[in-house]
Amino acid sequence: MLKGKLSLDVTNLDNFEYDMSKCIKCKGCYWVDHIYMPGVTFSTRCPSATRYMFDSYGAYGKMRIGLAMLEGRMEYSDELLKTLYACPLCGACDVGCKRNLDLEIELTLEALRIKAVKDGKGPMPAHKKVAKKIDEKHNRFGSPHENRKKWLTKDIKVAAKADVLYFVGCSAAYTSPEIARATAKILNAAGTSFMLMPDEWCCGNILYSVGMIDEAKKLAKRNVEAVRKTGAKTLLVSCAEGYRMWKVDYPKMLGISTSELGFEVVHLTEMAAELIKKGALKFAKPLDMRLTYHDSCSLSRLSEPWTPWNGERGEWGMVSPGLERRRGTNGVYQAPRDILEAIPGLELVEMIRMRENAFCCGAGRGTQEAFPDFAAWAAEQRLFEAKEVGAEGIVATCPMCKDNFARVARQNGEDLKIYDISELILAAL
Amino acid sequence: MAISKEAYRVLEAIVGEDYISSDPVVCEGYRSGPAGYEAGLGYERVMTKVPGCVIMPLTTEEVQKIVKVCNRYKIPYVPYSTGWYGPRSHCHVEDELLIDLKRMDDFEIDEKHLYALVGSGVIYSQLQEEAMRRGCYIIVGGGGSQCSAIANMLGDGWSPLSYRIGLPHRRILGTELVLPDGELVKLGSLAVGDDPFWGDGFGPDLRGLLRGFTGLRGCLGIVTRMAIKLLPFQPEKLEPTGISPNTTLQLPPKRVKWINFTMPSKEAMKKAMFEMARAEIGAGATKVPIFWRAIAKARCKEEYWDIWSKENEETISSFHLLRVLLVGFGSEEQLEYEERVLNDIITELGGEARRTRPTDESWFKNADSAGMWLMCGGYVSVDYVIETLEHAIPHGENYAKLKRKFTPPLMPDYGDPGWFQSFELGHQGYSEFLVYWDPDVNTDGVDHFYLETSKENIRKRFYTSLLGPHQPLYLTGPAYGPNYHKWLLKIKDEFDPSFLSHPPVPLAHDHFVERAEWMRPMKDWESPKFAP
Amino acid sequence: MTVKTELSKIVKPENFFDDPEVLNSYSRDFSLVPPGVPNYIVKPKTVEEVQKVIQLANKNLLPVVPVSSSVHFHGAAIPKQGGIIVDLTRMNRILEIDEFNRRVRLEVGVTWEHATKALVKKGFRLMMPLAPHPMRSVVIDHLEREVITNTVYDYGEPLQSMEVVWPTGEIFRTGSASVAGYPDSPSKGANPSGPGLDFYRFLQGAQGTMGIVTWANLKIEYLPAMDRVLLAPVDDLGYTIDFLHRILKVRIGQECLLLNNTDMAALVAQKWPDDFENLRASLPPWSLILILSSMARHPEEKLKYEQNMLDEIIRNGFSEVRLVDNLPGFPSIGKKLLVLLRQPWPKDKPYWKHRYQGGCQSIFFITRPAMAPQFIELMEAVAAQYGYPVDDIGSYIQPIEHNRACQMQFDIFYDPTSEFDIEMVRSLYHDAISILASEGALFTRPYGELADLVYESATGYATALRRVKKVFDPNNIMNPGTLCF
Repeated sequence: MLKGKLSLDVTNLDNFEYDMSKCIKCKGCYWVDHIYMPGVTFSTRCPSATRYMFDSYGAYGKMRIGLAMLEGRMEYSDELLKTLYACPLCGACDVGCKRNLDLEIELTLEALRIKAVKDGKGPMPAHKKVAKKIDEKHNRFGSPHENRKKWLTKDIKVAAKADVLYFVGCSAAYTSPEIARATAKILNAAGTSFMLMPDEWCCGNILYSVGMIDEAKKLAKRNVEAVRKTGAKTLLVSCAEGYRMWKVDYPKMLGISTSELGFEVVHLTEMAAELIKKGALKFAKPLDMRLTYHDSCSLSRLSEPWTPWNGERGEWGMVSPGLERRRGTNGVYQAPRDILEAIPGLELVEMIRMRENAFCCGAGRGTQEAFPDFAAWAAEQRLFEAKEVGAEGIVATCPMCKDNFARVARQNGEDLKIYDISELILAAL
Repeated sequence: MAISKEAYRVLEAIVGEDYISSDPVVCEGYRSGPAGYEAGLGYERVMTKVPGCVIMPLTTEEVQKIVKVCNRYKIPYVPYSTGWYGPRSHCHVEDELLIDLKRMDDFEIDEKHLYALVGSGVIYSQLQEEAMRRGCYIIVGGGGSQCSAIANMLGDGWSPLSYRIGLPHRRILGTELVLPDGELVKLGSLAVGDDPFWGDGFGPDLRGLLRGFTGLRGCLGIVTRMAIKLLPFQPEKLEPTGISPNTTLQLPPKRVKWINFTMPSKEAMKKAMFEMARAEIGAGATKVPIFWRAIAKARCKEEYWDIWSKENEETISSFHLLRVLLVGFGSEEQLEYEERVLNDIITELGGEARRTRPTDESWFKNADSAGMWLMCGGYVSVDYVIETLEHAIPHGENYAKLKRKFTPPLMPDYGDPGWFQSFELGHQGYSEFLVYWDPDVNTDGVDHFYLETSKENIRKRFYTSLLGPHQPLYLTGPAYGPNYHKWLLKIKDEFDPSFLSHPPVPLAHDHFVERAEWMRPMKDWESPKFAP
Repeated sequence: MTVKTELSKIVKPENFFDDPEVLNSYSRDFSLVPPGVPNYIVKPKTVEEVQKVIQLANKNLLPVVPVSSSVHFHGAAIPKQGGIIVDLTRMNRILEIDEFNRRVRLEVGVTWEHATKALVKKGFRLMMPLAPHPMRSVVIDHLEREVITNTVYDYGEPLQSMEVVWPTGEIFRTGSASVAGYPDSPSKGANPSGPGLDFYRFLQGAQGTMGIVTWANLKIEYLPAMDRVLLAPVDDLGYTIDFLHRILKVRIGQECLLLNNTDMAALVAQKWPDDFENLRASLPPWSLILILSSMARHPEEKLKYEQNMLDEIIRNGFSEVRLVDNLPGFPSIGKKLLVLLRQPWPKDKPYWKHRYQGGCQSIFFITRPAMAPQFIELMEAVAAQYGYPVDDIGSYIQPIEHNRACQMQFDIFYDPTSEFDIEMVRSLYHDAISILASEGALFTRPYGELADLVYESATGYATALRRVKKVFDPNNIMNPGTLCF
């Protein structure tokens, strides 16, 4: 839709015809923001285009391919699916483009995947397997649903009812229980009462991310209702991907704004930073380490709240009513840094690509499942960058990031330590 | 004829299977439009094609082999660094091989001897950062930091910092050029050895094949490596600050300073530039078009139009903003001296300093150029000429007058006579005329305007950058030189008689006029019949 | 009609010469390039005459050798295959002095002496090589890429647009002078580049093989309001070169150069031979000459901050540099050097290179400054092999572009009346250029036998050059036998 009525509804690719047709190939979506360009190394922030190199793998290529799909000029093929899916939807392209322009790159990429699924061609076979597991076992691993709370240890106090509901997520529940435990213990230590979901199901991150919007929306409705029923005022997550799902993609799918969810979505780092400021969390044990912080995409550039919009596009491409675009400016960048800087003995050294320029770990949003080599490659890039700045370890705020870094570090025999921030907070208390 | 299997196999053996593809999805990713520089216009719609095959070499030797294979199998090809220059750097014929040079990103720097040796895949912001880290700087062309340094040095290479540094031509040092037949000619000191530090030829200088003012778009060969001269800067860091979209370089206030001055008239602005040059102060001196200021202030397209729609012919004609860059190259004292002299000049001419942010996001590491598309979605510079200030000012005014006839579809600029600035300490003046339009309306008028400017330049005896590949060669040719086109075509015939290198450039715009029925009525010059 | 008749008709009989004596006067110059006699000499006054001569030459397949000065040092104007000498010294008008754009348009026959006098009157100066011969063509010296003594202007390259008659006989204007009707146009000819190709590059360093330039636009600069001439004795060349890396990077100085005692003495000595010998003996091995200058506005303040920068650099790392404004036993050296560097050599004195022994063979090339001491050693070793006194070698180092490069020049003085000297210097020269080139000296202006040496290692370049030459000069009439043509 080049002129006339349109909305930010990702179920209709037509809404993004303007965006696809106005990509100027400046590659702001690929390069680190030129102001921050560090030189000839660590110059890019799009993992797909950096890895696969053909223009088709950058947003500049995908916009053109998407337009061809919309106009019926592009047939589905393995290559097309790889182009659409070998991409962690990290948002670097969206933020990069929006430094100067008003194009909705991320939403377009989401809409392309939704179209591929609707056309019966997507997602990737590995994603379909995950979808089946979620459908059957309510978690992406296909592990027994009844084991979802097995991470809980006796020393963790969980309230029957509280203002804060800790949504654990599949990863922390099943494969990274240290994160769930650390989060819970941090809340206990701060005296912040929290409850759990009576029956926690997968947030549907992979479903939504790969374009299975019907399934994702069903889950969203179910999960939001379930939280509302608990009366929770705050939904706490310790997973960046989960954060983004609840805060951005649930409202997006449900046609509401983030503020209309009925509860606030908060990441552990936001809460912990506040608790530290208030004095409710006090660090006592020094951690003598030189660590670097990895900005998980979904906590940082993808995390600004969602407001649905519909209107019209007219002269010169202007839209009305006016639209405050999400440009990644107000992502959660500072809170994790404040926490790490408050930990005694911990020396925080920044990676060369940080904040909105961070290079995605490569694992999230279905990428690890369908393209494990690519995810491993992306992690390797980031580990190398961490070593370049002399860090002994990396701190992430997402179990997907941590898991991917740890796996690759292990496989490559790296002696870099990989932490989730919750572990460090707990260790320093 | 599609690229044959035999040819494909040979090409694949050169680069490896991961770096070649004729898959339609991959090739579609290399479509020129519908947006970009000069995109969405008739030229792009009529003249560009999706490649038949894309190949990504790593070394000069691979490029040579690829070009030789193209010659053997008669495969047309185009070199491609970033594709940023719009339709003119994309495929123009069916089944063309697009040679994507992005993997050629080798980099060496010698700060003592002030040059960096780069491959075609290195972009300006990379080079600028490496230079600045070592107390040097380069000019990042108006096209922006995302330009391939080599590609921009071949066709552009200027900015307000050209006030002191000057034309890019002397900054092209040792260079490797793969000729259209695949032979390699090394220019400058590379002709006799491995040291690329010197650019002059041995006897006549074959860098003459490279530019022709604004470049030949790869129709006379592929540059794979170039040593680019650096200039000494000052030692303090320009600190990157802010979070997107508000990122900027914080300028060390005692060493680098932009100052904006409102001047009482255009004549006063011109005089200020003249006096600055006479006093040999400054590192940049440029007029600022108001719509750029509106872009800088606006947080989105709608806000831009809100700001812009409050302007009119009167506000435009009475707004004269001079932006001056001072750099204390050698010391803080130097900057203080230059600022004193500058203030004297401005005061004498009735100008006034305005509050100016101590930051830069547009020129040192030009991160802003993509903002040109914020306003309407379509943009091209219909001319960008280096001549004198006395040429620049009437040139812009002339274009402004002419542009009225084509507004709409061009964006109303209320008669803004374009952008001009002083180059080479006043020896030259620069004018650029930028136009914007909504690509989703009928854009024939923009195509007409583009060509009409060429005719106007000829009528009024202005020099123009849009020669060679940019405008119909048989129109501009007889008017400049005269008959520069004959020499260009003879050289083309000598080095690429089969027209395999980026066909049909340099005759592309001639072809366009023939093929596009809305352009044909504009043809009032002689030319031979072109094969389709 | 014979060629002679036609040529006479074109330029008028009084401007046509084929008298053996006159022909012989063009057959040699101050270089060691073997003599070559032309068949005819014409002295045109207009570009149309030049064009007609070239057309005639093509018709008859006669070589054409353009000559723009009355003095030559490198043999480029000596005909190798006979033909027509086109002597352009009558085309000597200063066509325009454009004060606003700091541009001068000179016909090719305008000399340094003529141009400098006219420009000084208006407060301007030309960028100049070291003490050029007053009767040399300004345009040609720039076209041939003579290296200038001024190091401060970042944009470099004084040459702008030109008018040329191609070897095929077309009159053509390069750069922004290419607009129709130039100079009756808004375009002033300030841009050298284009149209379509960078034609000016093909004409640079071409030694008249690519066409005949009839006029050119050149950048001119203001005469400074104030100057401070500084000298420093140099014992350790490497140390001083490092010092120059430091100061030239921050753009200290207008003119900056290094001269060894022999060259310095040859340039500044008043009374010959006493002054020369005294100076040679008393001057340090090398002298650094550095001129600080300022323009009209607050000139003292500019000099002050520049001097402060200089002092700080010396204080913080180059304490052995002793810059002074005088030379013991040589009063007013500052004034003299200023004249030396801002004016061509005076017409009424023997040219400085010829003062010592009458003849001089210069060897000059581009290199990285750090290589200078090594090249000096090599040169001295070659000289020693031929029994040439090392102390007699004049040496000059001209920093270029913030001292990222330099031109090295060795002046081999000899007695041109001595057959022995000539043969010795010829052999010395032959060996020297070979050794220097093999160690990386860049002979970008390959005059005479340098051409064979250079193009033997730059075969790819030579091949491409010949292809370009073929386009512009299909009959190979322009100065054949020169360069690689």
